[in-house]
Amino acid sequence: MNVEITDLTRRFGRTEAVSGVDLSAGPGVFGLLGPNGAGKTSLLRMLATVIPPSSGRLRLLGRDPGSYGPRREIRRRLGYLPQNLGYYPSFTVAEFVEYFALLKEMPVTQVPAAVARAVERTGLGDQARAKLRTLSGGMLRRAGIAQAIVNEPELLLLDEPTAGLDPEQRVAFRALLRELGQHATVMVSTHLVEDVGAACAQVALMSQGKIVFHGTPAELTARADGTDAVGDAPLERGYSAVLAAARSAADRSRTEASA
Amino acid sequence: MTAATVPAAARRVPLTGPARLLRLELRRNPMLWMLPLLAALFWLGVYRPALANPPFWNVRATALQHALLFLGPLLAGVTAWAGSRDGRRGLTDLVGVTAVPRWTGQLASWAAATCWAEAVYLGGVAVVYGITAEQARWGGPLWWPVAVGAAGVATCCALGFAAGALLPGRFTAALAAVVVFLALGGGAFAMQNNNTYAQIWPLDVQGPFPTDSYGIFYPYVPDLAIAQVMFLAGIAVAALGALGQTARAGGRGLRVAAAAVTVAGLAAAGTAVGLAGTARLEAHGIVIPALHDAASDRPVPYTPVCSHAAVPVCLQPAYRGFLPAVSAAVSPTLGALAGLPGAPVRVTQVAVTSVVQGTGNSVGLGGPVVVGRPPVLFLPLAGLPLPGEPGTTATQFTSTLRMQVGPPVLNDLVGLSNSAGLQPGGGPGAVFGQSATSPRTAAQRAVAAALAQDAGLLPALRPASGPRPSGKWQVWPGRGAYLARGQQAAVAVRFAALPAAVRHAWLAAHLGPLRAGRVTLSEIP
Repeated sequence: MNVEITDLTRRFGRTEAVSGVDLSAGPGVFGLLGPNGAGKTSLLRMLATVIPPSSGRLRLLGRDPGSYGPRREIRRRLGYLPQNLGYYPSFTVAEFVEYFALLKEMPVTQVPAAVARAVERTGLGDQARAKLRTLSGGMLRRAGIAQAIVNEPELLLLDEPTAGLDPEQRVAFRALLRELGQHATVMVSTHLVEDVGAACAQVALMSQGKIVFHGTPAELTARADGTDAVGDAPLERGYSAVLAAARSAADRSRTEASA
Repeated sequence: MTAATVPAAARRVPLTGPARLLRLELRRNPMLWMLPLLAALFWLGVYRPALANPPFWNVRATALQHALLFLGPLLAGVTAWAGSRDGRRGLTDLVGVTAVPRWTGQLASWAAATCWAEAVYLGGVAVVYGITAEQARWGGPLWWPVAVGAAGVATCCALGFAAGALLPGRFTAALAAVVVFLALGGGAFAMQNNNTYAQIWPLDVQGPFPTDSYGIFYPYVPDLAIAQVMFLAGIAVAALGALGQTARAGGRGLRVAAAAVTVAGLAAAGTAVGLAGTARLEAHGIVIPALHDAASDRPVPYTPVCSHAAVPVCLQPAYRGFLPAVSAAVSPTLGALAGLPGAPVRVTQVAVTSVVQGTGNSVGLGGPVVVGRPPVLFLPLAGLPLPGEPGTTATQFTSTLRMQVGPPVLNDLVGLSNSAGLQPGGGPGAVFGQSATSPRTAAQRAVAAALAQDAGLLPALRPASGPRPSGKWQVWPGRGAYLARGQQAAVAVRFAALPAAVRHAWLAAHLGPLRAGRVTLSEIP
């Protein structure tokens, strides 16, 4: 398993953003769904070694990221696209991707070809020499994806990767996800359930810092059966049904606790 | 396959990862955009003032060291902007989870900015020194001031970058520029107050020594410059080390190493300040005993360039271009005295000779003196505004030097002390010192005044008429002539009116008794 999480918790002051999460994931595309504030980004940031967990056990690519040596090795084989992608406006797309290839300690001789491949895979081949400041929001997002995949990562963490992409680009991106998922563990955090349905083999749904569902998209869809959950698509209805059930369970436990 | 048949791309040695990072940063560093502004600042603040001065290597080197005052604030501001890039652009997370320690990436960014800044500075140095090489008559470039300047450039970049990286924000760049400007200005203020520790400030070249006084008669004493480079390098290393102590910089080992680097940098800077505190003024520069090389105490050998006048003027070859002006300044005084016993037979340029040590460290320029047998006029020129300097023409220089040289020579000739005799550069009402006039000095003063008028040091003397006899020399407003009153003055007017040959013959016969105070006013023809 590339990702093994046991009872993982992350607190920010009094707020428990991630609360006792257990999860494991091998190669394939893994969707992480949930409403705003569910803890998806905090979980991804822990998986990306941006922040350490407050408690619990975390193993990535068979290593413990708690100590620097293994963490560095994980980072060599990691791709990460944060929710809010910053960029250097004066860099070209190719330079931006090359910069991260070098920071990921790729063998120098492989960098030019890897950069060209990543730029092509994200459909930015024509824009490789364009300065980032001249790109649209969708193109910037693709440049961010390019830097994440330039090192052919074994663990790829994408936080809202399709935000800002047009429908055609999203379709192409789903295909890329499926391709990447053949060899790597790809975790995609998103609000867009159709992306999950189209690209993910496994899906987890987070609510209030906890994973309230873990299964396949088909299983998530099936959770809407027999409920009056709202949604335009079957997967959306399954998503709504699970969330509604999780919220009512949470309300019940709060009521019992206060009684 | 021979080397000749290997494709060029294959022959090329691939750059290492850090080198490729540096190349990227060099291409996209904000300092690149500032190069025209930096070049313009260098031109305005360094090149023009340096080239406006005579082509002495020491003067040009001083200007190059002072470049920091003009470039430093901008460099700090731009590097602060570069350093705050990740924070401002929201890239902290992304660059923080890469395998290369963030410290390495930051050092690459700093190095790129510093490379461009150094390129401007050293390019300017090359231009200034290239022109100086064509203009200078003697000597060679002084590299220690350039080393201080280059170290200062790197330090300003390091300080700015560290400020930007540790406190990223929109106003950090402006604040860094202002702080560096104030720091340089504050240091310069402390320096002017002659605080020995403040000499560590990189704008101080050789303390109170005039810029054209060092590195000519004696080798440039690099002691202070060595301490300054050590100080600047220490500060730069400490600032860069501070970057490596953040949690994102790397692992624990790296942070410990960065802390060690910071401590080492601070120790180097502190040691340099301590060394500057032990500095003392010597006759030819600032000496720090722990750093001093005795070899720099040996005079620089040179063959003087001399004029062919009755009283030859010999200058250090660096001053070759000023020989006509110096000769024109001293000839009217010395030419009339040629052959008289005790009159100088030669003029020899000397280095600054007098140093005052104490709370107010200062250098006395040690005016012209006549010593030796046969008498030689030793003439320091350092510190004088030379022809070619802003606001100084050859005529002004000649006039100034004449007024500086003439009085001590004439005082020495007639046996007057400089406090009682003619005052160098004395204007109306200050022809002579304030010492009381005795019968002995009255005759000496009368002769000195007459000779001064003959040498053009005083305007024409005219006997005054009127009811109030006085022994003083007075100026007649608006007429530009000194009115001589009293017996002493009348004698001076009379003696000055004598034909030069008669005066010369009388002096040849009576200079000894006159100097000894055995000649009275009534004995002067």
